Amino acid sequence: MIDERPMDTRVVESCQQGDRESFRLLFETHKDKVYSIALYFFGGDAALAGDITQQVFLKLFTRIGQFRHQSEFTTWLYRLTTNTCIDEQRKRRRFRPFPESLPYAKVNTLPAAEARFMRLEIADTVRDAIAGLKPKLRIAILLKYFEELSYEEIAQVLNCSKGTVASRLNRGHRILAQRLGHLRADVLSGD
Amino acid sequence: MLGQHVNKQLSPYAHGELPAPEAERVSAHLEGCERCRTEFAEITYGIRLAESLALRSAPSNLWDGIEAALSHETLPQDQTAHHITQERKTRDGWRFGWRISWLSGWRPALAASVVLLFVLGAGGGWFYLRSTRTTWEVARLAGAPLIGAGRINSTGRLGIGEWLETDANSRAQIKVADIGQVEIDPGTRIRLVETRLTEHRLELARGRMHATIFAPPRLFFVDTPSAVAADLGCAYTLEVDDQGRSLLHVTSGWVAFETKDRESMVPAGAACSTQPGAGPGTPYFEDASELFLDALSKFDFSGGGADAVQIVLAEARARDTLTLWHLLARVEGDERSRVYERLAALARPPASVTREGIMLLDPAMLYEWKAQMEPTWLTESMPEVRRTWRKLWSDRDAPGLIKSAKDYLR
Repeated sequence: MIDERPMDTRVVESCQQGDRESFRLLFETHKDKVYSIALYFFGGDAALAGDITQQVFLKLFTRIGQFRHQSEFTTWLYRLTTNTCIDEQRKRRRFRPFPESLPYAKVNTLPAAEARFMRLEIADTVRDAIAGLKPKLRIAILLKYFEELSYEEIAQVLNCSKGTVASRLNRGHRILAQRLGHLRADVLSGD
Repeated sequence: MLGQHVNKQLSPYAHGELPAPEAERVSAHLEGCERCRTEFAEITYGIRLAESLALRSAPSNLWDGIEAALSHETLPQDQTAHHITQERKTRDGWRFGWRISWLSGWRPALAASVVLLFVLGAGGGWFYLRSTRTTWEVARLAGAPLIGAGRINSTGRLGIGEWLETDANSRAQIKVADIGQVEIDPGTRIRLVETRLTEHRLELARGRMHATIFAPPRLFFVDTPSAVAADLGCAYTLEVDDQGRSLLHVTSGWVAFETKDRESMVPAGAACSTQPGAGPGTPYFEDASELFLDALSKFDFSGGGADAVQIVLAEARARDTLTLWHLLARVEGDERSRVYERLAALARPPASVTREGIMLLDPAMLYEWKAQMEPTWLTESMPEVRRTWRKLWSDRDAPGLIKSAKDYLR
């Protein structure tokens, strides 16, 4: 008889039975998205993103017995990812008063000749700009564009209303557009 | 009629998240409202920017760290702090549990120990997960420190095996897992060797670092070219010159400066030098006389022999019993006898400590005498919790745990 339950459900149940292979499968299935969220959340810091990814999956595996299948597994996973990123952000602030904002003024005052970014450079610049957003806006953007979650799903992950999600995405889009206005021609010429 | 502006619905509209009637209303409004059209252009440009983000592949070695951590767990389980604490006790060799049983007559220590255990238990889960991290956070304090070949802007991450370097104008701060921090002075080269639950280790190749650690003893180590500094819950400065010589200066608590076959116990206010090939010298208080310090240096590193020892003994004050106690195991025969005499004159040994026993380097007697002299060496007031912590740890030095005095004190 064919098991028609979603793959994640079956794998999660196997994990709850302590099956190490299923842990590995779950990790391989979701690691890139978790890593990418952490990477972009922390402005491209690959080592920190790796740390965060390990923390997320360690927490996931040690708490998986608590998962009751009352919500989507991915909602639970991305909530864990979000909370881990935001917790880390708070700890970093406690450790040292690091300047959080990026030197946008410097970017904006580059001579025109130097401002001709190649496509990959645009992506890096966007990454840096996203890292400069407030964490609540940042995580909403990352969940939308990496996980391709709906507003309803993002609301579940962030434990807020759809209206709040819409508002955060709106603000995030507007800030990105304003801060990276100097790239408009390069971005739109790629159409 | 245009109705209300639709600026709040623009992102959901662009993403197709609005119900059909609402989407139609927004569409109609945009046709007639230039302000909202302008804003919609901004939003769609922001969306285009966000869409340029590409999914990145996680490094292939991430699973190794997870698997290693999981290997210590019985899964699945509800990972309560209790579970983790029990796990740590057995895995890490923290022996607080059985130590309490034979400290039961000592009520204040027992009470403080219970508090300590509670703190450890409550923090165990948090500490466990935090300790599984494989990189340390680095903050730039001045100039342009490097991790590998990359400059640190405001922060960076130091991975295992990576070097952190500061030039003449740079300074940096390393967060040591969750147990403290290290400040790096200009002209320093330092590497993260290991970070795991039971050991955090740096290698200082040259330069100067200032460590502030609050953790169980022997969790944090710094390798230098000529000795290892083992933290016993303290603050200290450690520097290494271009010849691989080191100088340790302890500002709080205790540090063990050691090689495979020699150990110097250095309390707050004291210092200790090392040289390649010679290992850690004899610890001393920096306010000792110049003659004393010069003779001790000759004894440790220049073959000063009996003449140097003679000067050290003549110049020693009550506080310099720290140095004399260490000298006992570093000299032999008549010299040891002379050191004993001078030490006994400055700090009368307990009744249970005999000359014969000390001449044979009896571990129990050495330990007992040292314990009696320690208050003379300590200049800082020690909070009760720290005192208890140290007392618990100092039981490591208890007679039954020392195989031989030479192992401990050469």
